[in-house]
Amino acid sequence: MNQDRHKFQPPSWIDKFLQWQLPEDQFEEVQGDMLELYVHWVEEKGERTANWLYFLNAFTFLRPLPKRKPFSKINHYSQANTSHMIANYLKVGFRNLIRQKAYSCINIGGLSIGLACCITIGLYIWDEYKFDRFHTNYRHIYRVVEQQTQAGTLYDVASTPGPLAPSLKTDFAEIQQTCRISEAWWAGNLQTGEKVIEPENILVTDNSFFQVFDFKLIQGNPQKVLLHPDEVVISETLAQKFFRENWMQAGNILGRQIKLKDGRLLTLSGVAENPPLHSQIQFDVLLSCRYDELHSDNYKWQSNDYQTYVLVSQDADVAALKEKLKNYLQKHIKLTNATTLSLQPLSAIYLYSDFDFHTDWGKRGNITYVRVFMAVGTIILLIAVFNFINLSTARAMSRAKEVGVRKAIGALRKQLIVQFLSEASSMTVIAVMLSFLLLQLFLPILNEIAGKSLAVPFTDPAFVFALLGFTLLVSLLAGIYPALYLSHFNPAKVLKGFQSQQSAQFFRQSLVVSQFALSVILITGTIVIYKQLAFMQNKNLGFDKSQLLHVYLPEELRNKASVIKTDLEKLPSIAGVASTSGNLVDVNQSTTHFTWETQPPGASILITHLNIDPDFLTTTGMRLLAGRNFNPAITTDTSSAFIINEIAARQMSWTIEEAIGKKIRFWDVEGTVIGVVNDFHYRPMTTAIAPLLFRYWPKESISGLFVKAKPNGVKETISAIEQVHKRYNVLATLDYQFVDQMLEKQYRTEQNTARIVFYFSILAIMVSCLGLFGLATHTAERRTKEIGVRKILGASVAHIVLLFSSDFLKLVLISFVISSPIAWYALHRWLQDFAYSIRVEWWIFIVTGVLVVTITSLTVSFQAIKAAIANPVKSLRNE
Amino acid sequence: MGKLYLGEFEELVLLTVAHLQGEAYGAAIMQDIQQRTGRMVILSAVHVVLYRLEEKGLVTSVVGGVTAERGGRRKRIFTISAYGITILSEIRQVREELWQLIPKPLRPSTL
Repeated sequence: MNQDRHKFQPPSWIDKFLQWQLPEDQFEEVQGDMLELYVHWVEEKGERTANWLYFLNAFTFLRPLPKRKPFSKINHYSQANTSHMIANYLKVGFRNLIRQKAYSCINIGGLSIGLACCITIGLYIWDEYKFDRFHTNYRHIYRVVEQQTQAGTLYDVASTPGPLAPSLKTDFAEIQQTCRISEAWWAGNLQTGEKVIEPENILVTDNSFFQVFDFKLIQGNPQKVLLHPDEVVISETLAQKFFRENWMQAGNILGRQIKLKDGRLLTLSGVAENPPLHSQIQFDVLLSCRYDELHSDNYKWQSNDYQTYVLVSQDADVAALKEKLKNYLQKHIKLTNATTLSLQPLSAIYLYSDFDFHTDWGKRGNITYVRVFMAVGTIILLIAVFNFINLSTARAMSRAKEVGVRKAIGALRKQLIVQFLSEASSMTVIAVMLSFLLLQLFLPILNEIAGKSLAVPFTDPAFVFALLGFTLLVSLLAGIYPALYLSHFNPAKVLKGFQSQQSAQFFRQSLVVSQFALSVILITGTIVIYKQLAFMQNKNLGFDKSQLLHVYLPEELRNKASVIKTDLEKLPSIAGVASTSGNLVDVNQSTTHFTWETQPPGASILITHLNIDPDFLTTTGMRLLAGRNFNPAITTDTSSAFIINEIAARQMSWTIEEAIGKKIRFWDVEGTVIGVVNDFHYRPMTTAIAPLLFRYWPKESISGLFVKAKPNGVKETISAIEQVHKRYNVLATLDYQFVDQMLEKQYRTEQNTARIVFYFSILAIMVSCLGLFGLATHTAERRTKEIGVRKILGASVAHIVLLFSSDFLKLVLISFVISSPIAWYALHRWLQDFAYSIRVEWWIFIVTGVLVVTITSLTVSFQAIKAAIANPVKSLRNE
Repeated sequence: MGKLYLGEFEELVLLTVAHLQGEAYGAAIMQDIQQRTGRMVILSAVHVVLYRLEEKGLVTSVVGGVTAERGGRRKRIFTISAYGITILSEIRQVREELWQLIPKPLRPSTL
């Protein structure tokens, strides 16, 4: 070739592209043609145009050329018997599994634990997600919610006025149907014939309940039920309780009379199927909203008593509707607080409801915990996958010869990748099957903790597909790196016995570091969650919760409260009795109808109020910081005297001493502050203590009694309460609870989450340690000779163990350093949800660190000691 | 197998192979067609057609010697087969017959 020809060269990357694109035998002739033309183009049109034409012509070869038939290499490959090949891969893979039992067990065991955790959590999340999605129209159903600004703070309110629904339906064309639902907590028990039953969920609703939602009637006309004010619909379960199991056969029960506690007679007009488990709306009895429209005092624009659901038309512009709704209330009432309306999708209600003032009710989940579980599931899966990758690459040397031989015989890298991937996926399949066994163990535990009834939905095609996809994903995640790594060996080097593992070593170490980093995050999380729970349960509440009972008085007993109180006070086992309008666990009656003497213009306070009697402070053990208690002898105390808490005084810019004697106006009553009581918790720890006021208005309603039992008199107290209750009331069941138990119940979600996270972190550590154990075993094997030589030269057992462990401890320490800040940040964020929380303190990390190091040392030292005490003669003898 | 039909470009390539006589390879055919018809021809199109014709048995090919002009790459020389010649003459005969039927001189329709 002379110099002249080399003067112009087509871009070499295009040649590479051609070479990649074309079959080998066609490439030569095509490239020859291209080069010839190129020279021609350069002479005729100049280099630039030539380059362009070259590029254009090359890229049109992207089209498939008809295959040349005779003697093509490619054809030989495509004729090879692929199924035999795959059978061989599986056979070799299986033999490897059998030969290295320990590794295989660790590998598959770890993976199946990880998978089982993941599937469990997946099922849990799926179960949460499913809520309310069974309604045909769930995409078009919204709940109208309010946002109220009170005393400068924004409050979310889930309930809306009764007249809102009909008014919305006439004003907006895109709203096809509306449905109001309210909880008839006042209804109490129902009576038909001799039978009295107190149903759990009594709702008041419209006839549209059966059109907007997918609830079905077994008997009754869905178009007509509940249209009449005195109609009632009951659930299947209740029908069975009222009319025996075989009520269906017993003939038509529609038209039967059911008596409400207040004497109202209702006509049974329908029996509904029990609401599905995955419905946030649960009901036993449905009363008609028509009755409220005609008779209820609360059916007015000023009172928020109903959840208003709207069904919008399929093509409605929801964003525009929201905008129109925003200031809709102003049209109907003069608002004292800035209040806007908004829409909440039905499917979001279950997980995303966080409303104030107890305006929301129904089954509720919590998105935070779903997210926490998701994070935990991902972490465990990652740990398990890392294990798999680590062990597979660590064992690479034992497979290197095989790879070398395969390559030498003519295997392509692609084929080897397929081989190792198929090995990984068959292991994953085994792990998935094992994980189903583990699931049988995990699911009952989770069901018990979370109060669910999860089962593996083997027959659900969606689940089967999801599982297949998941298996595939995990096999790819776990198998791709080992496959790439193993298949890259140079056959010449491997067969000669030349080993270089430096890059994989580093990769493996970073995986171990990330594994332990994730474990550290889980452990610190567990510790902090438990500490926060303990903190909330043990925090001084500002009153004495021990042996304190709250007895809820049903409506008909309330006028007898003072008699019951004197009856109880006589008993020797009882230390004190006080009447109250709240339960001290979650007090929610509050108002902004409140002014004070030195009130600066524009300032306002949302004040919570409780109606109590003079015995309240002593019974609950609260302390007066200044002033005096209520005194029944002073007549003004029962009409215009108030006791406030410390924070209320502070928010009105008074010291506790200054507050005494100050004038305040509560609703329309002007009165004087006679005492200041210490701040005490009357809501969950997620909210800060807010201003509160006690009043002593004996004529006003109270809702229950606080009974303080003497230290050893709890049993007697309960039986005494039961006796007194029987004396005055036969119908309603007695409702009493220990305040400390009520408080505990409040944090049940947190507690359950803590337990679940705790179990999962144990599993995570187990899986990590399994991996570490495998690695340690491998290292011990690889370094047998080295250890033998060291021992012969005089190294002690301790020295060797230390040498051996320090490699791993180093990694664990690095992971600790990396993960601590991450854990700190995440937990700090979680704790910000609580108004009262612990600090994430340094010692928590120390504890975690010590724990992790101990576990690691235990895991590794087993192998280390085994290697160290082995007789060097044995390891050095055979060469 | 039914009767074989050739597309216009296929016919063009086949004719070119026939007249280049032993000098018919990708680039040469492409340049020849480009010169004669004045249209832009893409090399890959020529190759596709050549392989297809070979598959149909209208041409045969041998890999030829090395020339310096092609950077040392060998070329694949195509020659027309007997079957190819038959097909070409059949096509020509049909055309010829049609031309015979057209009145001379040929004028555009006045309708």
